[in-house]
Amino acid sequence: MLEIPALTRALRVTGLRVTYGPFVAVDGIDLEVREGEIYGLLGPNGAGKTSALSAIEGLLRPAAGDIVIGDIDARAHQLQAKAQLGVQLQTTSFQSNLRLVELVRLFAGLYGVTLSPAQIGELLEEINLKHEASKRFRELSGGQQQRFSLLIATIHDPALVLLDEPTAGLDPQARRQLWDRIERFRKEGRSILLTTHSMEEAQAVCDRVAIMDHGKILTVGTPAAVIAAHRDDPKVRQAAHGEVTLEDVFIALTGRELRD
Amino acid sequence: MTDDVILPKRRSVAAPNWWSSLKVLLRADGTAQVRTSQSLVLTFALPLILLVATGLGKNSAALGGPAFRISLALTVGLVSIGTVGYSLAIARDRDTGVFQRLRVTPAPTWTIMVSRWIVQLGAVLVMAIVVLVVAAVFVGITLPPQDYLFTVLVTLLGSAVFLSIGQAIVGLIASADTLNAAGRLLYVPLIGLSVFGNTDRLGTTVELVSRWSPGGCLETLLSAAMGATAWSGQSWGALFASVGYTVVFAVIGIRWFRWVSH
Repeated sequence: MLEIPALTRALRVTGLRVTYGPFVAVDGIDLEVREGEIYGLLGPNGAGKTSALSAIEGLLRPAAGDIVIGDIDARAHQLQAKAQLGVQLQTTSFQSNLRLVELVRLFAGLYGVTLSPAQIGELLEEINLKHEASKRFRELSGGQQQRFSLLIATIHDPALVLLDEPTAGLDPQARRQLWDRIERFRKEGRSILLTTHSMEEAQAVCDRVAIMDHGKILTVGTPAAVIAAHRDDPKVRQAAHGEVTLEDVFIALTGRELRD
Repeated sequence: MTDDVILPKRRSVAAPNWWSSLKVLLRADGTAQVRTSQSLVLTFALPLILLVATGLGKNSAALGGPAFRISLALTVGLVSIGTVGYSLAIARDRDTGVFQRLRVTPAPTWTIMVSRWIVQLGAVLVMAIVVLVVAAVFVGITLPPQDYLFTVLVTLLGSAVFLSIGQAIVGLIASADTLNAAGRLLYVPLIGLSVFGNTDRLGTTVELVSRWSPGGCLETLLSAAMGATAWSGQSWGALFASVGYTVVFAVIGIRWFRWVSH
């Protein structure tokens, strides 16, 4: 494995705090995604992952903190910052009466990208949806919806792609295909910040991971470094069945109790 | 994990200007509007049915003259579009996350909503023209040329009133299911008040309330626009009341509007 030097940061978040009334969802976190890096934000339900992503995406206003995307201050220049981001939300839905080809045209247009019908056809062909071009989004299978959402998220060739639980609800084939696409994004020079519940996948694919709970980042580093740093923790030893994995560290740090 | 790869340099993407965003949103929202069968029924079928039905039977004249038939058809169309069609479409898109998907793009947030309003105004304009053409060609109700212009202008003002009521409903009620029920509940009194503004058959109190209701004011203005009644102090009152309703409901609808339903 080769560490990518932090010459250029795709994203820098400092002191991010998100509150809903008295409830603190994100409690002053710092994180940094480097150019060409796949960064996994891990945590149980309610840990604050989606709130952190929403603040970065500009969907909610943080109570405090700075967000810099590339070299753009996202709080001061929100639209300019959004133009640098490719976003796939946890639950994606598109206008129910529009066909795929019309949705591609709409979202490309919203990013200032003009596509000819032939170019739209090529893009849909790339994700094996050319024959579904006149279908509605809701008429697609789960895997097809995921591929289409990812196409829309990257229609403007963004430098940083945010994916909120991209593999949720996918069958193994669709998951494998998705990870291949994410890997390809990285090879094209994009940075990816994603959340996932799959520790195995995070360990296998992410360059660095951060484990988050109760609005705070508990640990951060390469999967191997995170495992090494907590290997001797008695709680991790207790959670492990054999060789210590990222999931053992995750369980030890965030607890065994179920979260809603 | 990271392989030894040479990373292509990524460049910054410029955010498009608001006009570009609005144009693509208008195109998409217009297409969606035309494809929605429920909105087509509410926009065109219902007003036209009323236009024809109010001319049937011996007592049709007692309801009001030709101008009343047109104004009732237009009012029902406006109430349907504003309180049922528009608000429900917004609530559904909010529930399913359509707005969140749009909000992560660099389109200014206000363009998302303004595009919806413009498309609704367009639908109202087409509805008014269709009602007036059908009234002239098939029902034999014609107006002097300038009255057509005034009628269309008053209809656009009326659409502002009922769209702002729709906006207030969607601002105050979070769930699409609850809103659907509330919209239907509101629909009947709004239409009823429009009908009884012209008659004191249910007593003077009902007539007074009805006359100054949003639908009643619209009826008053449409009657004056079509020359059925002279422009009077009451017409001015109805005009100011309509503007007042629009401002109040729009403020409520915008102030309490949430882009997510949870």
